[in-house]
Amino acid sequence: MRGAGSQARERRQAYLLVAPAVLVLAVVALYPVLAAVWLSLHRFILVFGERRFTGLENYVYLMGDARFWSALGNTAYFTAVAVTVELLLAVPLALLLNRAFPGRGLLRASVLVPWAIPTVVSARLWAWMFNPDYGLINRMLGGAEINWLGAPGYALHAAILVDVWKTTPFVALLVLAGLQGIAEDLYKAARVDGASGWRQFRSITLPLLKPALLLAVLFRSLDAFRVFDAIYVLTEGGPANTTETLSIYAYKTLMRSGDFGYGSALSVATFLCVVLLAVVWLRWLGREEGRR
Amino acid sequence: MGRLLVLLVALGLGVGGCRRSSEEAGTGGRTRIVFKFQPLWGDPKPFRELLARYERANPDVELVTEALPNSSDLAHQFFLTSLQGGATDFDVLVADVVWVPEFARAGWVADLSEEFPPARLREEFLPGPVDAVVMNGRTYAVPWYVDVGVLYYRTDLVPRAPRTYEELRRFTRDAMAKVPGIQGYVWQGRQYEGLTCNVYEALWGHGGQSLGPDGRVLLETEPAREALAYLHGLIADGLSPQTVTGFGEEESRRVFQEGRAVFMRNWPYAWSEAQAEGSPIRGKVGIAPLPTKDGQPGWGTLGGWQLAVNAHVSPARRKAAARLIAHLTSPEANRVLALHYARNPPRLALYDDPELRAEEPFIASLKEALTRARPRPVTPYYLLIADVLQSEFSAAVAGLRTPEVALTRAQKQVDHLTGEQPKEEAE
Repeated sequence: MRGAGSQARERRQAYLLVAPAVLVLAVVALYPVLAAVWLSLHRFILVFGERRFTGLENYVYLMGDARFWSALGNTAYFTAVAVTVELLLAVPLALLLNRAFPGRGLLRASVLVPWAIPTVVSARLWAWMFNPDYGLINRMLGGAEINWLGAPGYALHAAILVDVWKTTPFVALLVLAGLQGIAEDLYKAARVDGASGWRQFRSITLPLLKPALLLAVLFRSLDAFRVFDAIYVLTEGGPANTTETLSIYAYKTLMRSGDFGYGSALSVATFLCVVLLAVVWLRWLGREEGRR
Repeated sequence: MGRLLVLLVALGLGVGGCRRSSEEAGTGGRTRIVFKFQPLWGDPKPFRELLARYERANPDVELVTEALPNSSDLAHQFFLTSLQGGATDFDVLVADVVWVPEFARAGWVADLSEEFPPARLREEFLPGPVDAVVMNGRTYAVPWYVDVGVLYYRTDLVPRAPRTYEELRRFTRDAMAKVPGIQGYVWQGRQYEGLTCNVYEALWGHGGQSLGPDGRVLLETEPAREALAYLHGLIADGLSPQTVTGFGEEESRRVFQEGRAVFMRNWPYAWSEAQAEGSPIRGKVGIAPLPTKDGQPGWGTLGGWQLAVNAHVSPARRKAAARLIAHLTSPEANRVLALHYARNPPRLALYDDPELRAEEPFIASLKEALTRARPRPVTPYYLLIADVLQSEFSAAVAGLRTPEVALTRAQKQVDHLTGEQPKEEAE
């Protein structure tokens, strides 16, 4: 008897309880995205006070904009290489940190220092170290004259190096968390069976670490795809836009030129790329989880 | 104790009340105007005295100064957003030389033609700065101090300043053969606004113009192609170091200052550093207009700052603001800025001023270069297209694209940004 009425009341109450959260999300997440999409359908140039609806014109131009495609290429390359290298370095680092040895706590903490320094500060530091004239790096290479930040081909790799230096500890920490979730019994059993260290790593550690690794790839690639501060400080996108990522192109168009319409179109395009990437990774992650 | 507390509270209220009323209209019915600018390097006293003189001469005005970020980019972002939003919290603003047409077309800076008629500006000021502030026969700002690109050379390594690009190359080659390990010609090749200045100087030196007769920004031209090929050629032939594509002003100055380069393109500020006590090249530096293709003195890029009035403020504040600009751009103020801050005067008369010639002969010696200084394309679109120019110029100079391809790409993007204009006006 008490069914229908109280159920409806309960449902109402539930809606009421989640309403503030939904509202907050709508204001902070949904509104800016929708506003950017709406802006991207306009020719809106700040200095001209000009704002008129042009539909998909900005997107049509974007499809044929060589600079957009090269920025997308740079971003994808930066993300792929940086995340791969970070994973390759982070796994051994995590294995090391997972061992019991005196001073482990201190080492774990100190490894995080590069990650804790504000990117703008560390990027400025690296920019000095990369200086071909008086920088530390060329001096360490025996007085080489490599034009790190001024030569196409080098500059993007220099930026990747800075990103790797900064975020490897973070990835290592994620991997370490995964390592600690693996039961010690498995290794004991493997040792009883006479498995070698490599065999244990391949048959126990790696498979069980997969969810943690995928999570790290998800976090890092989404993050790397929006990279801005490190590259902006190092090169401002130069030389010849070879280090220009989507975020930098969008920022320059929006803030330096005040071209809000096309700048928004670039932001929306970046957003769509990130969403696509997230969907792909989450699908994969979900499949892995389902298989277990 | 209690009485003291009451007194303090009363004082606090009094002060607070005062401040509140002054934000509205100034104390005692005076007009309050705000001057927004970047602090000048050096001893603040002479400049403060200059401002105080304005206040003494205008007892009806209360003058407030507010600081801007030192970076031109950041300052531009500030004005872009606040003027677009109709801000009225400042009256007089400094504008970089490339902003004035943009702000004028947007209607953000007041027309000052009545107080500063263009004809009078042409008579009294250097031609380049006047071109940068007068649009369609109306004045939108007044030049405050000026800057120009010049050539520095080592008097102990080359016979004289080169007049042509060919001479520059020959002198560089000879000096590099004489002094093993020395670098040739250093300039600003990083992807930023300094590169655009270097490219335009080369473009003018090859006989090019920044704008077509119809005011269109022209890039696909023979002089532009030659200019980019010349700059890239300097690097390709080893006459400029490879690293020049990563150089800004300070990077190039450092190399030259330490005696490790034969030639340098830079702004006049590098002179006092080069001639400072303990500088390795002290007494071995010459300065000259940039070379050109055919040997006439080159055109350096015009830099420097202008004073403009916020168009959104009330007529009373506008009048007081115009008077402040008149005061800050007077010959007397020009002299203060030159003597105490080494800022070049935009007024012609100052270059014949005996005091200035005696105390700052270097500043007076820049007259020829400044008379020939040219602004980058004077167009309301400049800030929109600056980014395109930087990236395509950088690609050509670094050898990533041929000058032809880079200029075609740049022209296409520039036309996209500016191209819809005629159509819209026809509507």
